[in-house]
Amino acid sequence: MNEEQGETMTAANTPRERAQLEPGLPALEVNNLQVEFAAQGGRVQAVRGVSLSVQSGETLGIVGESGCGKSVTMMSMLGLIPMPPGRIVGGSAKLNGRELLGLSVAQLNKIRGVDIGMVFQDPMSALNPTMRIGEQIAETLMIHRGMSQREALQRAVALLDRTKIPEARQRARQYPFEFSGGMLQRAMIAMSLACSPSVLVADEPTTALDVTIQNQVLELMREIQREEGMAIVLITHDLGVVARMADQVAVMYAGQIVERGTVEDIFYRSAHPYTLGLKAAMPDAHVHVNEKLTAIPGSPPDLFAPPEGCGYCSRCDYAMQVCDKHLPDLMAVSRGHVSRCWLQHPEAGVEVEGLYQPAAKGSPSC
Amino acid sequence: MTQFIFKRLLSGVITIWFIATATFVAMHAVPGDPLANDKAVAPEIRRNLEARYGLDKPVLQQYGIFLSNMLHGDFGISFTQKNRHVNDIIREHFPVSAVLGVLALIIATVGGVVWGALTAVYRDRWPDSVIMFLVVIAVSVPSFVFAMLGQLGILAMNEWLGFSLLPVAGWGSFGHMLVPALVLGLGTMAYLTRLMRSSMLEVTSADYIRTARAKGVSPLRIFFKHQLRNAILPVVTVLGPSIAAITTGGFVVELVFAIPGLGRFFVQAVQQLDYTVIMGTTVFYGAFLVFMVLLVDILYGFIDPRIRVGQVRG
Repeated sequence: MNEEQGETMTAANTPRERAQLEPGLPALEVNNLQVEFAAQGGRVQAVRGVSLSVQSGETLGIVGESGCGKSVTMMSMLGLIPMPPGRIVGGSAKLNGRELLGLSVAQLNKIRGVDIGMVFQDPMSALNPTMRIGEQIAETLMIHRGMSQREALQRAVALLDRTKIPEARQRARQYPFEFSGGMLQRAMIAMSLACSPSVLVADEPTTALDVTIQNQVLELMREIQREEGMAIVLITHDLGVVARMADQVAVMYAGQIVERGTVEDIFYRSAHPYTLGLKAAMPDAHVHVNEKLTAIPGSPPDLFAPPEGCGYCSRCDYAMQVCDKHLPDLMAVSRGHVSRCWLQHPEAGVEVEGLYQPAAKGSPSC
Repeated sequence: MTQFIFKRLLSGVITIWFIATATFVAMHAVPGDPLANDKAVAPEIRRNLEARYGLDKPVLQQYGIFLSNMLHGDFGISFTQKNRHVNDIIREHFPVSAVLGVLALIIATVGGVVWGALTAVYRDRWPDSVIMFLVVIAVSVPSFVFAMLGQLGILAMNEWLGFSLLPVAGWGSFGHMLVPALVLGLGTMAYLTRLMRSSMLEVTSADYIRTARAKGVSPLRIFFKHQLRNAILPVVTVLGPSIAAITTGGFVVELVFAIPGLGRFFVQAVQQLDYTVIMGTTVFYGAFLVFMVLLVDILYGFIDPRIRVGQVRG
């Protein structure tokens, strides 16, 4: 414990310093991750070969509707899904170059909370109701940094202060039920950042908060990222949050990434019909109260028996014959921008309005 | 907190008054009287006795006297036992029942929490099935059966060992208490085991347990620091009623194991319509239970910060 502490403390204190030791190495790199859950009479293929990576100081947004596997992707590599019934079938997940999959619980416990921190959706239920906020933050430091309780509690107060909780000293002695939702999420962020992790995974961090508080919490995350240079993986279904926060975006559908690129690629050069659908479903300020919100008709495929072809095929307005039977690969649209859609194939020969298709002849480039 | 305790004490006093009144009414509604049990007494002696005990007065006045005496902490003199004051009976025999009851409660609570936690940890595997099977038996078989089985067990064990390791009945040493307390606590323990099991299972899938795992907390520490305290809350809630169950269950166990506790006097008194003893022991038990339930409520506040009542926090 002490040895490890000395190593991390002297060599590099912040994720930024750590990243500078090995430039170019992604903070987190996931390759072809496959996760399934045993269910009655079969298995649900929740994650079907997901690859993504995020650099230090960068934010990767993972978007998709409920059940598309965005949370499971992140949770499974940290051993946070119940196993069984969950099972990692294959792939790899490397944190600072170190393989996470296949590690024992004891080994994972030296990584979780240290090199990778997590913030969950509902802060009201994500914190232990019978433990003081300060103690919950201090626990991480006591376990991983070998601090005494006194020392750790002091540091916890400093962390609460840093996440802009007023009267941090008094607040640290309170219980979760005495905090408001936004404050709890700040405390949660303070807790996940206690050991200055290289990667912060935020799973729908603002979904349970009201809009004004959402803003503050997101701003806080960005500010700390600027200071410490950690990578953030932001899981959300809110495109607005992604647009504000993310550098890179991965759009997930039915356990797969269907489009991946920079935030500009995704929003201004959407190359997958599903991304178009998500964008169309986004409410904006001009929609009248009486107008119905746009929705994508239909529902995602049953991952108990995933379809042979593209999972979006049955809901897609532009589906072709090939889509039903053959699953497209991720096709390069431009540098660093990929889309899993046959429309991007040079031989598709179909032009879709609003869809970015460099492959189709004569399509406008923007 | 003081306000809360004060309120509860007040409602406790009302409860006790209600118990006292109900017992008084029930007693006088039963045909016969404490003197009817004795051999034929001459009418004038009987009148003297009635005058001596105040039974010749109108019922309402008797009630008034009884209440006023009770407020002074005087439960009167027994009708059937020579020269024994009810206060003395309680003073001499209640400690025996209390020791037995407390021991039974400790066994029940510790056992319930440990077994319940174990079944949750080994969910759907053989330790779970075995314990839950035993729990069903312990809940459904009445305590006098276990009391006799316990005695038979002690006998068999002593015979097998060739010397007397545990006494079969009586009172005096820790050896005397062990098996009766176990028998007395068994039903409650089984009930608490079931409660603890479901509560543990609920807590195991709670979000904050996932948070603790995401922080890199070891499974053992999660179990003790995060799960146990939260899972124990429902168990603490039913401790009050459990104390009542154990106390009343004590009557039977005391009888089988020939333990000189208060229970025996209580049962005897009812059979002989010994007014003062019935009233005294009932009111005393009532007060005791009210006090214990209050104690449990205060304890609950310590374990669950959300329940700390009446406290203004900023």
